[in-house]
Amino acid sequence: MVNIMPGYHVTDCHVLVIGSGGAGCRAALEASQYGETMLLSRTLTGKGGCTVMAEGGYNAVLAEGDSTGLHFEDTMRGGAYLNNPDLVETLVSESPDRFRDLAAWGSVFDMEGDCVPAQRPFGGQRFNRTCYAGDRSGHEMIATLTEQIRNTKIRQVQETSAIDLLMDGHRVAGAITLDRDGNLGVVTADATILATGGGTRCYDISTNCAAGTGDGFALGYRAGATLIDMEMVQFHPTGAVYPPDSRGRLITEAVRGEGGVLKNNLGERFMERYDPERMELSTRDVVSRSITTEILEGRGTEHGGVYLDVTHLPAEEIERRLPIMLEQFLQFGVDIRVQPMEVAPTAHHLMGGLKITPDAATTLPGLFACGEVTGGIHGANRLGGNALADTQVFGKRAGEFAGKTPAATLTVDVDEILSTEAARCEAYCNGTTAPHVIARELKQTMWDNAGIFRTAEELNEAEVTISRLQNLVPKAVHRRMLNECCTVTNMLTVARLIIHGALLRKESRGAHVRSDIVQNWTPEDSPFGHTVQSIFGTSIEEKGEKA
Amino acid sequence: MNTITFTIERFDPDTDPASHTESYTVEINEGARVLDALHAVREQCDPTLAYRYCCGSGQCGSCSVRVDNEPVLACMHEAHDEMAVAPLNLPVEHDLMVEMESYLQDLAGITPGIFSGYLTMDANEAIRPIRDCIECLACVSECPAIAVADFAGPAAMRQEMRIALDPRDDRDRAALTVDEGLFTCTTCQRCLEVCPKHIAIPGKAIEKLREIAHREGLTLPRHQAVADMVRSSGRTVDRIMGTVLEQVAEVIEPVGEVRGEVGFFVGCMYNSRLPETAMKMLAVLRRNGIRVIIPPEQVCCGSPLIRTGQTDYLPSLQRTNIECFTSRGIDTVLTMCAGCGSTLKNDYDTPYRVIDINELIAEYGIEPPVSSSVPMTYHDPCHLKRGQGITEEPRALLRMLTDDFREMPARCCGAGGGVRSGLPDVAANLGRDRREEIAKTGAAACVTSCPFCEFHIAEHSDVPVINITTLLFEAYEKMDEESGVDPGWKDLPCRIINPKTAE
Ligand SMILES: Cc1cc2nc3c(=O)[nH]c(=O)nc-3n(C[C@H](O)[C@H](O)[C@H](O)COP(=O)(O)OP(=O)(O)OC[C@H]3O[C@@H](n4cnc5c(N)ncnc54)[C@H](O)[C@@H]3O)c2cc1C
Ligand code: SF4
Ligand code: SF4
Ligand code: FES
Repeated sequence: MVNIMPGYHVTDCHVLVIGSGGAGCRAALEASQYGETMLLSRTLTGKGGCTVMAEGGYNAVLAEGDSTGLHFEDTMRGGAYLNNPDLVETLVSESPDRFRDLAAWGSVFDMEGDCVPAQRPFGGQRFNRTCYAGDRSGHEMIATLTEQIRNTKIRQVQETSAIDLLMDGHRVAGAITLDRDGNLGVVTADATILATGGGTRCYDISTNCAAGTGDGFALGYRAGATLIDMEMVQFHPTGAVYPPDSRGRLITEAVRGEGGVLKNNLGERFMERYDPERMELSTRDVVSRSITTEILEGRGTEHGGVYLDVTHLPAEEIERRLPIMLEQFLQFGVDIRVQPMEVAPTAHHLMGGLKITPDAATTLPGLFACGEVTGGIHGANRLGGNALADTQVFGKRAGEFAGKTPAATLTVDVDEILSTEAARCEAYCNGTTAPHVIARELKQTMWDNAGIFRTAEELNEAEVTISRLQNLVPKAVHRRMLNECCTVTNMLTVARLIIHGALLRKESRGAHVRSDIVQNWTPEDSPFGHTVQSIFGTSIEEKGEKA
Repeated sequence: MNTITFTIERFDPDTDPASHTESYTVEINEGARVLDALHAVREQCDPTLAYRYCCGSGQCGSCSVRVDNEPVLACMHEAHDEMAVAPLNLPVEHDLMVEMESYLQDLAGITPGIFSGYLTMDANEAIRPIRDCIECLACVSECPAIAVADFAGPAAMRQEMRIALDPRDDRDRAALTVDEGLFTCTTCQRCLEVCPKHIAIPGKAIEKLREIAHREGLTLPRHQAVADMVRSSGRTVDRIMGTVLEQVAEVIEPVGEVRGEVGFFVGCMYNSRLPETAMKMLAVLRRNGIRVIIPPEQVCCGSPLIRTGQTDYLPSLQRTNIECFTSRGIDTVLTMCAGCGSTLKNDYDTPYRVIDINELIAEYGIEPPVSSSVPMTYHDPCHLKRGQGITEEPRALLRMLTDDFREMPARCCGAGGGVRSGLPDVAANLGRDRREEIAKTGAAACVTSCPFCEFHIAEHSDVPVINITTLLFEAYEKMDEESGVDPGWKDLPCRIINPKTAE
């Protein structure tokens, strides 16, 4: 039946970039100045990943009156002071230059005057700092970056996944790959950059694209890298609730930025009760909890959401500033110019991830990381607009420092590694359970038991389920399904990391709410620091000590 | 949960010599998209089904497929029972996956420079409308010119224009695009019709690139000859026979009660090449109670100039064509040429309403004609279907005229966009393609509603090509023959010939 002894080949490059979202593309462009660069992605270049879907915008201090100091403070406060201050400092001070890079490469962001980028207000920020291209800001970035990649000699290997990092002792020396037909391969590299994006597809209701399964967290973890704050999952307050297959699809924060108001089924602007000062533009964690509370207390809509209303805005303004939202809702029979949207929280962003230095170096030699797969930049809650900035700032840094890595000689037997991977694939061919069956149960338990409000009891229940699922072997009835089997295995690892982080953190902070724990401290004077997980052990940092 | 049964065109490069169609029955949620139905097939029937997707929200452009022969984004288009899902018209790699990499690789960007400031508002506004492309390649897969000529295609032209508009890149795009087949596009607007982002590539990219090419002296010689003719005579074609404007009186009163009044914009082709066809149409209106006013000073609408980028003389044409009707107090102007109609509707800012003959007939209603049993097919003129969104009206009329109406796929005949005059080989290739489609239907006549299509398809078709109003005219004639009554509707009042202008 199945061809289980896949053909393989070995290729070599100076820098291997895994993932072609905003971070990976930016890293590849930078790295290519230092030597042969290979851009590997599970999808077609640029088409995968969440960057292309990002709608709202990119935070950069550009306008007079704003300052990187303010941006720093907003980011730290939004992140409940769990952010790594060095990384935040790097983010805010370099984000404007990276925005200018995009402009030099051809980006077409909206202008509000000749040569003056338009900037919109976004939640949790004291200044209009979010640059945008209508509500297709991420698409604008990806278009710019991929067009530039096509101008270079970067080798694009498309529709091929990294299924494991290639280890040479403790050093990361490339990756094992699997193409879409199920053929194994090996890429050796002097430096490797993980830019695989986020992983909230581990939740039943999520904004992420199909590639948002968190492969990079699992690859890094298996290779021995340290991950921090994996419990920090951002639930975006406004996801679609209807029709059923579209649940979770993002309704951009720009809708509220442009003046959209939230109402319950009694017509009350309920944010008055939760954050009268910032109202709809409060931070995402606060708005998500407010909406969830309204729904739980019976003031939700027919389809289990609340109303988000822009009908008071002039139709032309909606058409110009929110064209994608308008078009998407029209496709589902709702005209947002005259009808309110129905929304509910949806799993959106993983703030945690691989621990990095400001040079984007992970804890493993030879391995760099950038974008959503990293942790520490956004702390316990990410501000809207900071992730796109993060992809560019740390993408460039990862590319630069990976590029500067000296050439290395391989001391490991590639054939031996390949036969181990082939054995893994063979096991999938003799597996027990269809991968989508495992994924479905995993997503449901994560949503039910590791969601917006968490308790130790529920988290333990989720862990039991995950353990049971980890004992099943996903089954590939054809070698083209091997990828899916690898993915679901990775998702289980990510789910476990989130659950363990959430159990470790016995406090409510930012996006992480433990409703079973009473605490008498504010985020600023919390006794806890990062949760730290690796194959070598797990812990939570306590004040005064560093992991 | 709903149960649907639908088909998918499958192809496995490892085992299949050719593609084949499979039927699947699956359970889907209410409101499910085509993509959800494909997921359902993979989970419920066959886990090896191959298709691309990622964002699930219409933004990455990975998931284009054809549903019932029209390209759509699988993640946005609602699934329905009995739909037929097939890959785009591009080389198929596996099931619904087509080859995209090589085309995308060629869509490179501006030459990167050092940051020297952001765009001006003007530059920004100019680029925006063609910047939303998600590179789904639906347009490329449907473009008729690519199929028969050496043409880089609509998505590439869009990208070239985007670069041409960008002050950060000063390379000369026009010269390059001429080599890439800029003049092979027939401006059929199929690309716009299938674009999920509604990017007006013909109007906003191709015609604009042709304008640049024109400024750089790269216009094709035959296109230039047409423009010279318009400048000197107000017309795109020379006079080889008596024209409509020369022969017919300025006002044509209907035979019976007056049910409506319109101005008539004749257009160069009907005026000077197919005057008989135009006069038959006028007779049909005369029989049906419509008063027609035909200002003799009207000139070419300018379409051949716009389509070929030679727009400098356009404003003067526009002025004449607007004033000749407004000065007579006319509020509705009739066109029977699909190209003129589309131009007056889309490239003019007219103070009057423009209405195509098919719309007029549908709106006012007509004396029912006798139907014939001759099998007929209908060719959708691009400038009628896509330029004006008119597809149902002519079909409704045709169903009154024949008991045996046969559909064929709508595709450009090759006559438009100056291709017939500029690159006759390309046009001929597309014309031959039409002949094959007509032959497949087995129809004995091809009916259409555009002088360019009539002329061009007639050259390639084995069966006669007839204007839809001529067919109507003939049906009325037959009725008169049978009844022996002729109320004199065919005798159009003549123009008092001015011996000076009529040579
Ligand atoms: C709907 C939505 C809207 C958003 N809006 C905003 C916004 O307005 N502003 C903002 O700042 N942030 C926004 N975000 C967050 C932001 O888009 C992401 O955090 C950011 O784009 C992540 O970029 P990335 O490059 O790290 O990963 P991604 O863009 O997700 O790219 C990941 C890449 O890795 C590849 N990949 C994954 N696994 C593998 C593997 N095993 N092998 C090979 N390749 C692999 C994928 O194919 C893809 O190319 C939004 C997110 C979503 C989902
Ligand atoms: S208008 Fe027609 S011929 Fe021209 S690019 Fe578009 S599809 Fe092709
Ligand atoms: S122009 Fe439209 S149809 Fe063509 S590739 Fe771009 S988005 Fe797709
Ligand atoms: S999956 Fe991205 S456009 Fe359809």
